[in-house]
Amino acid sequence: MKPAQFSVTSKLVGDAAIIYPKGYLNNLSGESLVNECGIYIGRGITKIVVNFSETDLINSIGISLLLQIMEDLRNIRGTICCTNMSKFLRDTFEMLGLLQHMVVFPVESDAIAYLKAQTT
Amino acid sequence: MPFNAVPAEDFFNRESDLLYLKGLSALKKNALGGDVFLEGGRGMGKTELLKQLYRLFYWEDNVIPFYYSFKTANLKGAYFAKDYFSGFVRQYLSFAKKDPSLAQSAAGPLERLMPAISSLGLYWLIDCMEDFQAHVDKKDVYWQIVAAISAPVTAAQKGGKPVIVMLDDFDAAASLYESSLGDAHGLVSLFRESIQSTLCPHVMTGSAGALERIFADHSLIGTTEQMRLGPLPENVAAELFGAHLANLKIAPPPADETKFLAVLKGNPLYIRNLAKAAWKMGKKALQEKDLIECYSFDVSDGETAFYWSSVLSRYIKTPEERRAALKMLVHALEKGGLDDNKRLSLLSGVGQADIAAILAAMQASGMVRDRDAVLRDVIRCLHMREIEGRDAGYARQKIESAYLSQSEEERFELVIPMSSNAELVVAKAVEQIGKNRNLDDEFLNYLQLALIEVCINAMEHSGSYEKKVFLTFITRPDTLEIIAENAGKPFSPEGRKEIPVEEKLRMGMKRGWGFKLIYAIMDDVKVERVNDRTRVIMKKNLTDKEESQ
Repeated sequence: MKPAQFSVTSKLVGDAAIIYPKGYLNNLSGESLVNECGIYIGRGITKIVVNFSETDLINSIGISLLLQIMEDLRNIRGTICCTNMSKFLRDTFEMLGLLQHMVVFPVESDAIAYLKAQTT
Repeated sequence: MPFNAVPAEDFFNRESDLLYLKGLSALKKNALGGDVFLEGGRGMGKTELLKQLYRLFYWEDNVIPFYYSFKTANLKGAYFAKDYFSGFVRQYLSFAKKDPSLAQSAAGPLERLMPAISSLGLYWLIDCMEDFQAHVDKKDVYWQIVAAISAPVTAAQKGGKPVIVMLDDFDAAASLYESSLGDAHGLVSLFRESIQSTLCPHVMTGSAGALERIFADHSLIGTTEQMRLGPLPENVAAELFGAHLANLKIAPPPADETKFLAVLKGNPLYIRNLAKAAWKMGKKALQEKDLIECYSFDVSDGETAFYWSSVLSRYIKTPEERRAALKMLVHALEKGGLDDNKRLSLLSGVGQADIAAILAAMQASGMVRDRDAVLRDVIRCLHMREIEGRDAGYARQKIESAYLSQSEEERFELVIPMSSNAELVVAKAVEQIGKNRNLDDEFLNYLQLALIEVCINAMEHSGSYEKKVFLTFITRPDTLEIIAENAGKPFSPEGRKEIPVEEKLRMGMKRGWGFKLIYAIMDDVKVERVNDRTRVIMKKNLTDKEESQ
């Protein structure tokens, strides 16, 4: 484990926002993640991909904030996709019963293709 | 009697204490002090230090030593007075004639000593004996005690040499009585005159902090110096153990196999008893596993077991109270402290009214206060034998197997502040511990998550002013045990209701995952309340979790 200073970067690909949380996902960083997603939702984006490739560690507060994003998207009939999850992260989400409320792909490009197909 | 001291060369690491006590009469003469209350846990060597001091003075000719042990004394006033007085006369005469046998033969009336006393011209001593007898004839218990206690002062005044008075287990003097227990509080204050005499330095022994309990008289507390006899340092303890083994013709364990001796915490009594256990078991040479075997014998059926069992008997009189006390002691060991009387009453089957008396007796015995690892094991063995009905062999095997598995364990302790991201320090620590054991990365991620959750829980819910989380990691060949402890509000995961994700998505409250994760990740989780602290004990089996090399 090398918990890096947490940061969130993002980009827009078509009509989907791709979010990259980096480091330890806890209360403070979870808030940044919620804010970043909130900016896109405010601009009318309903498709969000969270790429976890650079997320080292997560705690229950970080998970609850992810749940907040899921709720925000559900309220606008949006979709959340999670990609590049480590086995540990995937199993943890499964342990908590979260997987059935998100769409999971091994890599980001699969998620983008899935969301694109939904539009057409 | 004080003559059965260990040889001076086997009396380790107390030279400076001995030298200081030896100079007490000079301090007293110059009004610079001279009275010492020597305190320390049981077995620390207080009695032995007095015996060594006695021997030093006895074979010199400057200060007359007088030793009296309250440990075995009859505390009924008349008996005590007679015992104390005759003990002093015999020891004084023994010193004057340099004949130890005079002090050692307690049987026979004092009158038989008259020819020896006369031959030395100690007529004032004959006067003393006649005065004492006059009080006995008048059945005046108070003056018998006064006469007995003042005998060393009179001897110092008449004989022209200071008398050092050594009162062993002096705590017990607080329980002196006239005809029935508790009928005459404060008889111990009769020692005041003797203690204040400039010719009689006093060395009193007792348990830690007992001086204030013994004397209500603050002037005596103020002028009595308190001296603490602590455990022997590790290297000296090993040296002492080696010396005992050499005397018993047993080859000592190699230097790298003496780690187990740390359990004895430098207590000279335990060290000696372990050596004797090795001798009783017919050992000729020792390895670490032999030490554990001998120790298990000693705490289940050997001299240490007998010692503590006798202490318990001395303070707890009836079989019913003894059973209740053992149940309470084991409970205290498991819980890390004693509960309220109501709960203890339920636990022990003894009425609440009697609980207070048993607790007071247990406190006085030192069995609650001292609580070292050895005493803990003795209590467990006594419980197995007297409450569970097991035999000594069973108890011995239990202790042995516990230590054999512990000998392969490693323990790490860590304290973190309750501040942002401090839980990451714990995560880093468990990562390194895991790497030392070749645990795979994914497995370590789970452990890190469980630990992060337990720390966050403590930080968020305890409301602790201390603002610290104490963590202990114990690695054994097959398990990792992690104990997290913090002060503050009680916490119990049982009271928490699990809310389905679907509902959490609709509700504002999305938290409450922590203990769900901990329970899912760890193999065993226990949450305890110990006094004002919450303790979470988590265990994870390590079998098959090592990386294939």
